[in-house]
Amino acid sequence: MKPGGIRMKNVTLYYRLYHDRAVTLRETMLNLFNRKTRIENFKALDDMSIDIEAGESVAVIGSNGAGKSTTLKILAGIYRPTSGIANSAGRIASLLDLGVGFHPDLTGEENLMLNGALLGLNRNEMKKLVPEIADFAQLERFMDTPVKYYSNGMFMRLGFSLATAVDPDILLIDEVLAVGDAGFQNRCYERIWDFREKGRTIIFVSHDLEAVSKLSRRVIWLHEGRVKMDGDVEDVLSGYLQNVQKKHISTTATPKEWGTREIWFDSVILRNADGAPASAFRRGERIVVDTVIKSRLSSVVGNVVFGFSIHRTDGETIIGSNNLEMNQPLLSFRGSVNSRIEIDLSIAEPGTYLLGLALTDPAANMNYHWQEFFYPISLIEERKDPPLKLSEAVWIQE
Amino acid sequence: MPARWSAGRLILLMESLVAKDLKVRYKRSILGFAWFLLKPLFSMVVYYFVFTRILRFGGAIPHFSLFLLTGLLPWNFFSSSLSATTSSLLDNHRLIRSIYFPRMALPAAEVAANLVHLLLALLVLEVLLIAFGHYPGLSIILILPALILLTMMTVGIGMILSIGNVFYRDVRQFIEILLLAWFYASPIIYPLDSIGVDIIQSQRLLHILKFNPISGFMEIMHSIFYLGTWPPLWCWISLGSWSILFLLAGMAIFRKAEPVVVKEL
Repeated sequence: MKPGGIRMKNVTLYYRLYHDRAVTLRETMLNLFNRKTRIENFKALDDMSIDIEAGESVAVIGSNGAGKSTTLKILAGIYRPTSGIANSAGRIASLLDLGVGFHPDLTGEENLMLNGALLGLNRNEMKKLVPEIADFAQLERFMDTPVKYYSNGMFMRLGFSLATAVDPDILLIDEVLAVGDAGFQNRCYERIWDFREKGRTIIFVSHDLEAVSKLSRRVIWLHEGRVKMDGDVEDVLSGYLQNVQKKHISTTATPKEWGTREIWFDSVILRNADGAPASAFRRGERIVVDTVIKSRLSSVVGNVVFGFSIHRTDGETIIGSNNLEMNQPLLSFRGSVNSRIEIDLSIAEPGTYLLGLALTDPAANMNYHWQEFFYPISLIEERKDPPLKLSEAVWIQE
Repeated sequence: MPARWSAGRLILLMESLVAKDLKVRYKRSILGFAWFLLKPLFSMVVYYFVFTRILRFGGAIPHFSLFLLTGLLPWNFFSSSLSATTSSLLDNHRLIRSIYFPRMALPAAEVAANLVHLLLALLVLEVLLIAFGHYPGLSIILILPALILLTMMTVGIGMILSIGNVFYRDVRQFIEILLLAWFYASPIIYPLDSIGVDIIQSQRLLHILKFNPISGFMEIMHSIFYLGTWPPLWCWISLGSWSILFLLAGMAIFRKAEPVVVKEL
């Protein structure tokens, strides 16, 4: 395997879960000698196989308990699989928990030297790295101060700088990018970005889908210890978001549908600018709402207002408009009509949103068909283009 | 899965852990290292008065206080090491769960840190002994193999205790009681020779006490430092076999339990 490559083959891992049932003092006393602790074997990873090539940056997503952190711990060599094989090539740096090896009574520099040994570096290698680490963490003045006098942010900064100072072939990150202030966070992202550009393998677990779409090209979606989906960012994220919304919406913004349905949405398909059905859209990409609207009325219906609205997942409306408001022709048809809205969102926070549609006739006070919080869409960060662009090239023969 | 740990890296790791342990222990402490001497010295004073003024058998042993100290110093090493190793895995659970390194280094480093203390304490002991006319013989060179064997045994027992304490916190309580009983069952306040027979008043019990894993080492200490003679053969047989047994058992148990323990922490 090339340095940076990772292979997990049929990896299964069991945890033991303890169920202590004693609640009252009496039960506790009774259980003291005859302890009724039930032990359950919990399958954290179930026959998981993942292949990652050197240089890939892969995000691992999934709900809590899906096995994301466990997967990282197996890759870091912390857990050994109950069965199956996990292999990797090259030096690994794991950002699973920052600054854990730090002893509060030791100074910043003493702690760095100790942790260098834990990471397997020799003393000279580490001595060379110390100024660089201190500089990145912006803690040069505090290197001879015991770390117990550090603020939480300083502590984390030192931890991050240390963990990423060793130029690993593989970088494992577990939700630890919320380090320090905004300025330092940016520098963290930059450093991770640099690793990516240098062709290092990056695997990171995150709930922050914005970070996911920024940093990775490939996403692995875990569910109950199995790989549910593994592929391109957009495909996996949209699949994941739809799945999350199915569960999530019920508690916040439930899809609602009402109206007289004399006129109704017979079919609604969301497409991207190329005409392909989609539910994930890049920043600046056009959203096309392609509908077939049918009417049960025998005569032509006119003055139909076709509106849309976009909501956050908690139900709050962000924007909404309709053809009346935008001075565009109202619908007028009999039987069936194809109608579409082309929406260009200029500024949008990346994330998950809910699209609602409505057919109304405000003049006649008619609500034909409302579909509120109905269509989940995700807006994802635009992928960074290569820094070079061809502006001109000339071939000359003389 | 993780990169191989060469012997060199492992030694450096141990060194760093020991250095940390020593630094941390004596930060903000006025007497610092002296405590490692003071603890056995205070016990010596207490035992001296108890056994010469109250129980009155210490009088049979010349320079009873020095005799006590010869045994108390290594006992202090042994008991402190075992107490420290017992919690070594639990105390470092966050570290163990966030990066990989050979975890055997944790209990081993606790023992090594205590060994540094013991070596310094033995130097002081030797000075005291010479001052009171107990000159060392050639047999003093045997202290090295004896200490190596003692360390092997302590590391082995420590590994077993550190693993056990993860599964059952009772181990920590139990070891305190065990050490108390173990102390009186070891030839520290009495010797296992003819004087010992007079004190214990049972030849059979004295023979049984020779099977105590620490007895061999204590008698070696008495021979080398206090008497300046060559230690009897049974000491080496006992110490050697217990040491190898405990070290092998400790490493086997640690290896076997390690993957499970990491998840239990």
